[in-house]
Amino acid sequence: MAKVIDIEADIPLHTVQLDALVVSKIIKHAREAPSTTAHGLLLGLDLDGTLEISNSFPLPHQHGDEAEKGSKTIARHQASMLRSLKEVQADDSVVGFYQATTLGAFFNQTLLDTQAIHQDKLRHGGIVIVHDLSQTAKGNASFRAFRLTAAFFDAYKRSNFSTASLISHRLTFSSIFEEVPLKIRTNPLLSSFLGKVAEPAAAQSTGESALEPTYSVLDLGTAGLTRNMEQIVEAVEAYRTEEGNLSYLSRQIAREKSKADAYVAKRKEENAVRVAQGLAPLPEEDVARLFKIPAEPSRLESLLLLGQIDAYAKSLEGTASTSLLKMYGARAGSGAETSD
Amino acid sequence: MPLGPPSSAIHIHSQGASDPSQPAPRTPTSITIHPVALLSILDHYLRRTDSQERVIGTLLGVRNDNEIEVRSSFAVLHSETDEQVAVDMEYHRTMYELHHKVSPKEVIVGWYSTGSNLNTYSALIQNFYSQETAPHPAILVSVNAGVEEGKEAGVTAYTSSPVGVYPKPENCVFIPLPVELRFHDAERSGVDLLTGTASSPSSTSSQPVADVEIIERSLHSVDNMLDRVLAYVQGVLAGGKEGDAAIGRYLMDTLGAATEDLEKGGFNSSLQDTLTISYLANLVRSQAEVSARLALATAP
Repeated sequence: MAKVIDIEADIPLHTVQLDALVVSKIIKHAREAPSTTAHGLLLGLDLDGTLEISNSFPLPHQHGDEAEKGSKTIARHQASMLRSLKEVQADDSVVGFYQATTLGAFFNQTLLDTQAIHQDKLRHGGIVIVHDLSQTAKGNASFRAFRLTAAFFDAYKRSNFSTASLISHRLTFSSIFEEVPLKIRTNPLLSSFLGKVAEPAAAQSTGESALEPTYSVLDLGTAGLTRNMEQIVEAVEAYRTEEGNLSYLSRQIAREKSKADAYVAKRKEENAVRVAQGLAPLPEEDVARLFKIPAEPSRLESLLLLGQIDAYAKSLEGTASTSLLKMYGARAGSGAETSD
Repeated sequence: MPLGPPSSAIHIHSQGASDPSQPAPRTPTSITIHPVALLSILDHYLRRTDSQERVIGTLLGVRNDNEIEVRSSFAVLHSETDEQVAVDMEYHRTMYELHHKVSPKEVIVGWYSTGSNLNTYSALIQNFYSQETAPHPAILVSVNAGVEEGKEAGVTAYTSSPVGVYPKPENCVFIPLPVELRFHDAERSGVDLLTGTASSPSSTSSQPVADVEIIERSLHSVDNMLDRVLAYVQGVLAGGKEGDAAIGRYLMDTLGAATEDLEKGGFNSSLQDTLTISYLANLVRSQAEVSARLALATAP
């Protein structure tokens, strides 16, 4: 029974199990949403280290200028949806949220903020499921589960992303999130139903299966490549701007610091002279009050941008390698002479 | 792509002489269902209480001309006893408003029920939903989950028309409609993922799947198809089977497709492009990694 009753959430999560219903709901919402930032809440329960996600619902799309009003509407939407789901015996405990993304780049500030709030509030800290739209369109439905690493969360709570803090927490973009293994599950009722639908109706000569085979995976086209490259260039551009800002700020800090140091040194010298002349030394004033040394800039933004660049490049690499594979496959299939 | 058991019903499309100045709401002639709606219905059925014979809920979707596209559904509370049937209307309204906020295009098109028997209560509920969807007629999608003995799993759809000398809410005829499964092409891989998962022995599959695996699966299935075609063609050539000219033409069109762009020159330049892209991507990744590490480096 110790396995089943886990009030204090002591058993750490090792897998996330996603129900077929949630899979289809996320795919539908992600495709229909007006922007690529479709997100919603995941509902479920954890049992013996496995987080079973059994339901989900989308949250309304938020417009940029009414963020303040929007968050209240969303909270109300969420509360009333949860109440309604409870009435029809569906799971009603929030265990995380999902986020749609394109080309694998899901690093952004909003995602981090939401997850950080969840990590504080939810049992087991909650998880975020990232659904990659472009991958799914290419024929490989992709779902991945993440949560923030302890080191990043610690730095986030102190809201300190200075260089020193990054070093002491050993943070790079790859250590912001840790991936949790994810499994997809269909319940037996659904399995039998899907099996029935997908099975070829061989008995009747005219009947065909409700699901005809598709070969979109084998498409040789490289339509998405240009966009992917553009995204990389954009991300690199943004990163360069950010780095420029950072180095400007750090130069400013250095300048102010050296000014302050010079002032302190000068005052000490004067005092030494005055002591030698037998006069009372001047008081050492508070340097910090005289010189405003700016705080060290946060490196979080540049960290996230690097993460995005990496993700875009990774998906580009994946596309390139599969298209290589397909090209050779097509050549073998077309029976072209291999003279070289 | 028909869903559900074959039926012998004739689907009559009444093209009655309608008054153009007053376009009457058209009777739907075909229904398509998105997988999400089906999955929600089955999930709701699974979560019913012991006392519930069947579960019902609202269907949301889009109307185009004579076709109704069911896009999603939600569960509605109801109770059936020997004397009466009750549907929680307030709940239905609340849920509709919640759904409407997220996907404003979807409107109420009808209702669903599990199990395959239609009774007086079905007619009463149908009457209620007809008021909700007025002036358009409501549709009923009846999902048989396949748990009753002797009945195949499947989906049937109906629209209703009043019957009797005096129209009464509990009297109506349910007219069957053809129903199909439909989803967007981009969602296809998700459906494949689910059917693949459903057919695996443990009913689970782990993510993420490598692209290569998916390609391999597709190639295998192409291979199987080719074998089938080959067997057929050889059968025809050997005289064992009678050849069908139509099939022959299809095969010619499919297999005779030009592969000219794959000629040597095209292949090589395309190969170089791909390799360059792969090189670039790797370069960018290592630069990003180096940059992240450099930020952590301290002066000795």
